[in-house]
Amino acid sequence: PGDAAAPRLRPRATLMARRPELLCGAAIVLCCAFLVALKVTCSRAKDVTMPAKLPVNFFSTRSPVIDLFRGQLDYADQLRQDSEIVLYFFYAPWCGQSIAAREEIEHVASRLSDQVLFVAINCWWNQGKCRKQKHFFYFPVIHLYHQSFGPIEYKGPMSAVYIEKFVRRVMTPLLYISSRSKLLDFLSNYEPGVVGFFEFNASPQPPGYLTFFTSALHSLKKDYLGTIRFGVVTDKRVAEEISLVHSGSVYLHRHANTSLIYPEDIMNFTAENICKWALENREMLIRWLRPHGGKSLLLNNELKKGPALLIFIPYNPLAEMHPLLDEITKVALEYHKCNKSQAAEPDLQHIGDSDSPAFDSSITDTHLKFSETFPISKYPCCNTVVLPQWHSISRTHNVCELCVNQTLGVKPNKVHVPHCNFLEIEAALDSFYLQEHTFFQVISNTIECSNFFSFYSPFSYYTACCRTVNRHFLSFIGSEKTIFQTPKVAFSSHGKKGNTQFSIPHIEDRNCFIPDLNISSTNITGLSCKTNKTLNLYLLDSNLFWIYAERLGASRSTHPKEFAAIVDLEEEVHYVLDQNQSLVGPTLEDFIKNFSVLYSPLKRHLVNDPSIPFHEEHVVTEVTTNTFHETVFLSAKNVLLLYYAQWCGFCASLNHIFIQLARLLPPDSFTVARIDVTRNDLPWEFMTDRLPTILFFPHQRKEQSVKFPEDFSVNLPNLLKFILLHSSLSSSEPCNQGPVKECLHKESVLQQGHISHLEREIQKLRSEISALHQAHDQLEAQLSEARREEQRLQQQKHTLEKQHKILQFHSEQLKATYDQKNQELLEMAEKLQELADASENLLKENALLRILVTSREGKLQSKDEIKEPLQSDQTLSEDNDISLSTATTALEEKRIDNIDTIDTEHSSGNRTE
Amino acid sequence: CLWALRLPAGSGAAARGLDVASYRERVRAMFYHAYEHYLESAFPYDELRPLTCDGQDTWGSFSLTLIDALDTLLILGNASEFQRVVNVLQEGVDFDIDVNASVFETNIRVVGGLLSAHLLSRKAGVEVEAGWPCSGPLLRMAEEAARKLLPAFQTPTGMPYGTVNLLHGVNPGETPVTCTAGIGTFIVEFATLSHLTGDPVFEDVARKALKALWKNRSDIGLVGNHIDVVTAKWVAQDAGIGAGVDSYFEYLVKGAILLQDKELMSMFLEYNKAIKNYTKFDDWYLWVQMYKGTVSMPVFQSLEAYWPGLQSLIGDVDNAMRTFLNYYTVWKQFGGLPEFYNIPQGYTVDKREGYPLRPELIESAMYLYRATRDPTLLELGRDAVESIEKISKVDCGFATIKDLRDHRLDNRMESFFLAETIKYLYLLFDPDNFMHNDGSDFDVVVTPYGECVLNAGGYIFNTEAHPIDPAALHCCRKRKEEQWEVEDLLREFYSRKKTKKFTLKRAPDHGEGENAKDSEDASSVKAGEKRNSKKSSHSLLSCPSQSFNSKLAVLGQVFLDNT
Repeated sequence: PGDAAAPRLRPRATLMARRPELLCGAAIVLCCAFLVALKVTCSRAKDVTMPAKLPVNFFSTRSPVIDLFRGQLDYADQLRQDSEIVLYFFYAPWCGQSIAAREEIEHVASRLSDQVLFVAINCWWNQGKCRKQKHFFYFPVIHLYHQSFGPIEYKGPMSAVYIEKFVRRVMTPLLYISSRSKLLDFLSNYEPGVVGFFEFNASPQPPGYLTFFTSALHSLKKDYLGTIRFGVVTDKRVAEEISLVHSGSVYLHRHANTSLIYPEDIMNFTAENICKWALENREMLIRWLRPHGGKSLLLNNELKKGPALLIFIPYNPLAEMHPLLDEITKVALEYHKCNKSQAAEPDLQHIGDSDSPAFDSSITDTHLKFSETFPISKYPCCNTVVLPQWHSISRTHNVCELCVNQTLGVKPNKVHVPHCNFLEIEAALDSFYLQEHTFFQVISNTIECSNFFSFYSPFSYYTACCRTVNRHFLSFIGSEKTIFQTPKVAFSSHGKKGNTQFSIPHIEDRNCFIPDLNISSTNITGLSCKTNKTLNLYLLDSNLFWIYAERLGASRSTHPKEFAAIVDLEEEVHYVLDQNQSLVGPTLEDFIKNFSVLYSPLKRHLVNDPSIPFHEEHVVTEVTTNTFHETVFLSAKNVLLLYYAQWCGFCASLNHIFIQLARLLPPDSFTVARIDVTRNDLPWEFMTDRLPTILFFPHQRKEQSVKFPEDFSVNLPNLLKFILLHSSLSSSEPCNQGPVKECLHKESVLQQGHISHLEREIQKLRSEISALHQAHDQLEAQLSEARREEQRLQQQKHTLEKQHKILQFHSEQLKATYDQKNQELLEMAEKLQELADASENLLKENALLRILVTSREGKLQSKDEIKEPLQSDQTLSEDNDISLSTATTALEEKRIDNIDTIDTEHSSGNRTE
Repeated sequence: CLWALRLPAGSGAAARGLDVASYRERVRAMFYHAYEHYLESAFPYDELRPLTCDGQDTWGSFSLTLIDALDTLLILGNASEFQRVVNVLQEGVDFDIDVNASVFETNIRVVGGLLSAHLLSRKAGVEVEAGWPCSGPLLRMAEEAARKLLPAFQTPTGMPYGTVNLLHGVNPGETPVTCTAGIGTFIVEFATLSHLTGDPVFEDVARKALKALWKNRSDIGLVGNHIDVVTAKWVAQDAGIGAGVDSYFEYLVKGAILLQDKELMSMFLEYNKAIKNYTKFDDWYLWVQMYKGTVSMPVFQSLEAYWPGLQSLIGDVDNAMRTFLNYYTVWKQFGGLPEFYNIPQGYTVDKREGYPLRPELIESAMYLYRATRDPTLLELGRDAVESIEKISKVDCGFATIKDLRDHRLDNRMESFFLAETIKYLYLLFDPDNFMHNDGSDFDVVVTPYGECVLNAGGYIFNTEAHPIDPAALHCCRKRKEEQWEVEDLLREFYSRKKTKKFTLKRAPDHGEGENAKDSEDASSVKAGEKRNSKKSSHSLLSCPSQSFNSKLAVLGQVFLDNT
């Protein structure tokens, strides 16, 4: 083995001598292993975790709500057995919505605690029964039980009044209707009503009653807003009012369509079926919209059906009386009442009782007087046109009545057409608009009429009579007489020109609501069927959903929170009922009427950002819907307008460029302005579909606005060039003609501007110089510090070099000793080799000797057997034997020594490996 | 559809309005609770361990939480502490250390944190030197840290390694596999550095890495999760918008905004199209195979929740809101967002149930609240405050939630909790914060390079929520040339006769004149641009204005497109 070990040893030693980095590598691997081990122990410390905190009370202990904060659902179910009505409030203690709803539940509980059992259950704690059995996707969840019926989940608004109302309906799902007047009350409600007739005199509980009762509960489950109300009649005479004769019949009341009786012969009389039948056949004249707050398509689905009238009113579901709601209901009924013969139904008369007759007559009065004062209105075909007006401050309007006269020409047939021909009025309007400037400056309080011929037909001519009226005309019904006092009718011939300066488009008129001046005295009865612009009517509780009203332009401060708007999603417009008028039936009717007529006088409402104060000085002028015209068109300056939105990243990163621009441009001839178009609507022609958009309105030619080209990057030089390019015309021409003095004046103004600009520049440069000086000083300081540092480093370098030399010397010495050692090692190896050879020889000798001994012994034995004498011989051989054995033991000892040394050599080699 | 089944109850509280001011104060208290315990028990380690009340180094050894929380201090209005920390950092932080650091994390947390602190330091009342914002101690530190990362970019493809030794550069034998986000998340910080210091090397490497990724996208226009930076082979081929990819897309948009760069934007728009085509289902974004487009994982990841915020920046507010509302339902189910959420099963994914107090959903809420003022977004803020306080608050800070199913806590508080989660929550509840400046306020700073308008709003948050003022990029380099040009033009305004004809300079492909090195690549971008321009001729650097129905798209209401 020694033979093999030694040569293997040598190359490794030399290898290591040649590549010391291998040693390092090994060391690093070892280190890493150690580190890993360390990390493992460290990460054991990192594995410190903590279980969730134990649940604690969610409701206070004094609360009427039983708080099972360990989620004991089994206990809750036990509790349920003792109470008729139970409300479960499943919550998670970390949930914001649960925390917010807690107060509301407590409020309801304090009012109903004597009749309803309120149990709150922590359904989050993972050791609790509730968590193990129930799986909710959100919290809180409210379940109601009416005895064994349930759970009925409440999904309405988390507001105490709504919850209480719902709980009350679960308590009494059926309303007992004892008399005729109560029946009328019940049926006149805007929400659909289902009446069951059950005679209780025959048996303690007439057949089917329980099913009917359950179906009422069932409907609460399906229709959590609780729009279908269930009533029960026990008196035969009362039942006859709605032509129910048999006990057990069920009646669904409808206002606009015929009411229905449950078809027992077709459908089985089960709770589900009744409920389904009522839901399918109910009539929705006017609907509450109650978005639940999560992702929903509710408004999308409803508004996609067509134009919608959204009415916002504050609503308390617990209140006994809702006078405003009744009034709105009446309007809705009228609007949907297409077939007059149906008016014979009893409930409608009942509603009629609540009318204020005085009001009605005043309305007809208005129309009467109006037709009196407007002499032209006897013409067969007229339309009212409101002339657009830019001054939003002005309280007056120019109103024209446009009538078609066909006195000339041949009429092809004699059939009298009561209504206007659409085409005729349209043609008249076209002609009228072309002449419109004639009517702009109308002297107020007189009616001025002119006749002009149609451009399309020589046989007809139109008459237009115009006058100026006060804006909030309808709201001052009383004063209306004074407006129309002694109107002087003065015909003027076509072509009489007034001031024709303004030629302004029509749509952008920014006046809220123009009262109805429609001559046709039709009321809205059945309007929904007559017009092709049918409105769907919706109610929203302004306590909960006022934000939608604000979005449509309701002012934040309005009180009470009442608001009405017509939203037409398809046309992307909405109209708003003037907020200065109170929301009552007649105004609502007028609003609907105005929407429905051809050439509606309603103006698209433009929402204006109210948060921006009217005239606050900024470097960049902030424009709103209200100030748009004034800032852009009325000012005598060049205007650069940026359309932006706060959320648009590409806009916000341009802020600094526009600020710089505004600071550079001479402020007396340039305005740099911007408008946030998400918060400020603009007339269609000024809308833009991309943001940012930059428009330039050169002064004196405001109508010729130019758009900054989109494919150029927006930076200061480009913007300046853009402005120069488009404002150049105005300032370069005028000095050639005209008086010299004015010219000189202009020149001096311009130069003064330049001078002030240069002065500003100089100031800037001065500050720049001082900044440079500062920077210079700073640099100098840094430089000197650096020099000092350098010196210090040089010194260090010297010392380091010295140290380096010493080290080099050391290393040389070490190398020498290393070589020496290496030599010694080699010598040792050689010696060892020799030793090994010697031992080999010895071994061989040993073997030979053994053979010799055995052969001798064999011989001796054979001799013994043959000859016993020759004792002297024997002793001699014995001596020989002893000497031999000592020799072998000595040899053996040597060998073992030898192996030992080889072993040690080996192991040391291993270690170095 | 999934969400329709899960009607959340009620909106009563929303309508009545949250007490925004009180929540703002609660967020502030949360910040100081965590911050003070970090200083007390963990500083100068990187992070606080809230359960054991001690510190540990996680991403290096540079007092990471302190650097990360620095600008949050100023946003909370604490200028004096900001000043103190600036001094501490200047003395205490050393990047000459033998530490293997993640290139990505060091960039977004350290470089980003130092850059934003540098740009905010004047506002915080720190005495700045004359060359500010083009020089300053914090900028020098940021530059030093960034230089330590540069060796990682020396690969055949230009895509960086994931890890670098701050002292020795890339370790021999370092794995060449890097996640996509680790390659494409540099442009915001590095371009800012280049603009401020004048050394273009940072922006160049960042752009080169972005282009390499763009070149290696699949035929259907998607990128995978991990790529070999030496051979440019995709190692993980899951394509999605979440972990491993997220901030790549984010930085394409933010880079485009910051640098007014059409090329970056056109890249993003192409990706956006592919993402919509292949990964979007019912307003969720799933994971698909990058070459085939087949769904590989129907999960929602907590990290994906940044997407709505990003969409709002480019004007896709409708879609953003719809996706946000989906994500919000997950929060409502657990009181946090699990790392993975299996959408069809409606539950967490095994081993991925944790919620390390990540900011992404709150970040989106903040952006969307800016755009819509929808109270639902404040509700999320309320839920986040309540959840984090109830679940993860411990004596020494706020602990990571290890398992959202039982709310077990882990002994860690990541530095992004103070840098991002708290910051975005506070900004959500503080609509008048200077960070929301819409350009009505600004500062004028005189630098040796000329006068400069700063702090005019439009801050770009890097992916670790460190704000960068885009105006600062125009203060240093190239400032002089532009000023002379402007001066010339202004002279024209006052002269009587206009002599010159003005032609507008066409916008260069990207801001910094660096010519497209890879011609094939550039042409493919151009082709993309052309395809875009065929459809609509509008500029890439613009948002669509909001539709009419967006007026009513609040309180959870969403509208379907007419098409």
